[in-house]
Amino acid sequence: MLSLPSISLLQFKNYTNRSFDFKERIIGICGNNGAGKTNLLDAVHYLCFTKSYFSRLDGNNVQQGKSGFRLEGHFLLQDKPEKTICILRETGKKEFSVNDQPYDKFSQHIGRYPCVVIAPDDAVLITGGSEERRKFFDSLLSQLDADYLQHLIVYTKVLQQRNSLLKSFAETTVKDFSLLEVLDEQLIKPGEYIFNKRKEFFVSFLPQAKHLYSEIAMQPEDVTLLYESQLLQSSFAELLKATRQKDCYAQRTTAGIHRDDIEISLGNQLFRNIASQGQRKSLLFALKLAEMEVLRKEKGFPPLLLLDDVFEKLDESRINNLLQKVCVENEGQVFITDTNEERLKQHLDALSVQYQLIGL
Amino acid sequence: MQFSSSLLENAVSEFAKLPGIGKKTALRLVLHLLKQDTGDVSNFSEVIARMRSEIKFCQRCYNVADADICSICANSMRKQEIICVVESIRDVIAIESTQQFNGTYHVLGGVISPLDGIGPDQLNIESLVNRIQKETTAELIFALNPTIQGDTTIYYIQKKLSPGSGGQLPQLRITTIARGIAFGGELEYADEMTLARSLQNRLPVESYVASK
Ligand SMILES: Nc1ncnc2c1ncn2[C@@H]1O[C@H](COP(=O)(O)OP(=O)(O)OP(=O)(O)O)[C@@H](O)[C@H]1O
Ligand SMILES: [Mg+2]
Ligand SMILES: [Zn+2]
Repeated sequence: MLSLPSISLLQFKNYTNRSFDFKERIIGICGNNGAGKTNLLDAVHYLCFTKSYFSRLDGNNVQQGKSGFRLEGHFLLQDKPEKTICILRETGKKEFSVNDQPYDKFSQHIGRYPCVVIAPDDAVLITGGSEERRKFFDSLLSQLDADYLQHLIVYTKVLQQRNSLLKSFAETTVKDFSLLEVLDEQLIKPGEYIFNKRKEFFVSFLPQAKHLYSEIAMQPEDVTLLYESQLLQSSFAELLKATRQKDCYAQRTTAGIHRDDIEISLGNQLFRNIASQGQRKSLLFALKLAEMEVLRKEKGFPPLLLLDDVFEKLDESRINNLLQKVCVENEGQVFITDTNEERLKQHLDALSVQYQLIGL
Repeated sequence: MQFSSSLLENAVSEFAKLPGIGKKTALRLVLHLLKQDTGDVSNFSEVIARMRSEIKFCQRCYNVADADICSICANSMRKQEIICVVESIRDVIAIESTQQFNGTYHVLGGVISPLDGIGPDQLNIESLVNRIQKETTAELIFALNPTIQGDTTIYYIQKKLSPGSGGQLPQLRITTIARGIAFGGELEYADEMTLARSLQNRLPVESYVASK
C-alpha cells in the first residue's frame, strides 16, 4: 500500500510555511477560489513525479518574493515510512531525496509513488492535439516501466539532433547523409522499443477505457479508441528511408513515434468534434480510471488519487457514480478538492466511508 | 563589490572569467598575489603568457606539444600502430595518468552534435581517417564519453572506415573502452582504477553497438 500521512510546504506558491496531517484515506480539501487547494495537490504531485503538474519551470512554484522552496512528504510504502524531500535551492538547483538518499537522476524516482491526477484542465486530453494524449500515456508507461522512460529520453535527444541536422542541411549544399544514417540508426532502436511497448499496452488499455466510459455514461454509446502510429504500417527503418526527402524539405523528422496518437471517435466522427461537455468529461474520467486500474495491477497497490474540482458541470448521479468508483471500489488514498464544503460533505457522507475535511 | 583601485578590480574581473571561479574566489586569489614578491608574480604571468603563445598542437594527433609533433607521437617506445580516440586533451591527461596505455592518441576536439552546431567538419575526423589509411594502424580504440553524442561520433567514424566508403584496412581492429563508466557519466570524473580497467577490457565496437 501507498499513503501520504503528512506533508510540509515551505515557500511553495501561496504557502509560506505550513504542514498538513492526513489522517484518513479520504481527504476532502475545501476553500474559496485562490485558497490554495490546487497548490496543495501540486505539492503532492511534486513528491511523486519530481515536478509540477502545471508548470514546466520549477522557479514558477517558488513563493513570490522568496528564493527556493522545500517540500517534505512522509509516505508509507508497503508499511515502511519514507521521508521524501524536494528542495529547489536559491541557485535554481533542484535536489530530490528519499530517506536522505539523493537521486543522481530524477527519472529514477518516477514510478515509486504511482499517482493519478484529474484536474479541470485535463479536458485537453480529449479536445487538444495529439501531444496531450502522448503526454498522458507516456507518463503512465513511464510509471510502469523505467526502461520506457529511458528510451523516451534517448529518443527525444536523438530526435533533436536529427532535426538540427536537417535544419543545417537547408543552409549548405553538401549534405552529410552518412551522419543522417547514423542518427537514423540511433533513433530506430528506442523508437521501435517505444512503439512495441505502446502497442502491447493499448491492446488491453483501450478496451478497458471504453468499458469504463460506458459504465460512467450508463448508456451504450458507440465510442471507439484506436492506437494510431505510422509504425503500424511499416518498420521505422523503412519509414525513415521513405520520408528522407520530405524530411529534408520540411527540415524536421516527419515520421516516428513522436507523431503517435489515440484516435477517439463517436459513431464515425471524431469524438472531440461532436461530443457534448458531459461526454467529454465522462471519457476523461474513463481514461483516468483506466490509468488507475493499470497502475494498481502493475504495482500491486492502488495509486494516490488527486481529484481537483471534478464536480463542476457534473450532474448528481455522475458525481455519485464517480465517487463510488474512486472512494469505495478503490482502496487507495484519495484527495478531493471543492470550493463548496457543504456539497463535498454531503457527497462523502452518502458514501459512508471515513473521511477528513481540511478547510483552507 | 567596491574597489578603491581599478588595477585590483581589473585583475579580479579577469580571474572571475575562469571556469569555476566566482568574484569572491577571484578576490582571494588576487589578494594572495598582492602579498607575493613582484618577481614571483611577473614570473607567474610570464609562464601563463608563454604557455598560451608558444604552445603547439601536434600535427599528427592534435595533442598539446612543444614541437610540431608531440612527445607521445615522437616516442618510438610507444605502439604507434594503436590509436586511442578521445574528445579532448583533458582525456589524454586522464588516460596517461593511468599508465596503462602505451599507444598513441587522436584528439577529436569534441563530439558530433548538430544541436550545438558541431558537425564532423568541425572535428579532427577527416584527419583521423586519412591518418589510419596512411599509417598501418592496427587498432582504433574509442575512449569517448558514454553519451548519445559520443555514440553518434563512434558510429560515424566507423561508417567512414567501413568497406563501402573508402575501404577499411583489413588489419584494423576497432574497439571501445568497456563500460566501467556509467552511461551518461563523464570520462574526466572516472577514477584511475575504473579507467584503467575499462581500457584493459575494451570491446569490439560491433558488440558495443549490439549491447544497446
Ligand atoms: N509563486 C507563487 N507565489 C505566491 N502565490 C502564488 C504563487 N503561485 C500561485 N500563488 C497563489 O496561489 C493562489 C492560487 O492557489 P490555487 O490555485 O491552489 O487555488 P485554488 O484553491 O485551487 O482555487 P480555485 O478554487 O480557484 O481552483 C492564488 O491566490 C495565487 O496568487
Ligand atoms: Mg484550483
Ligand atoms: Zn601527437
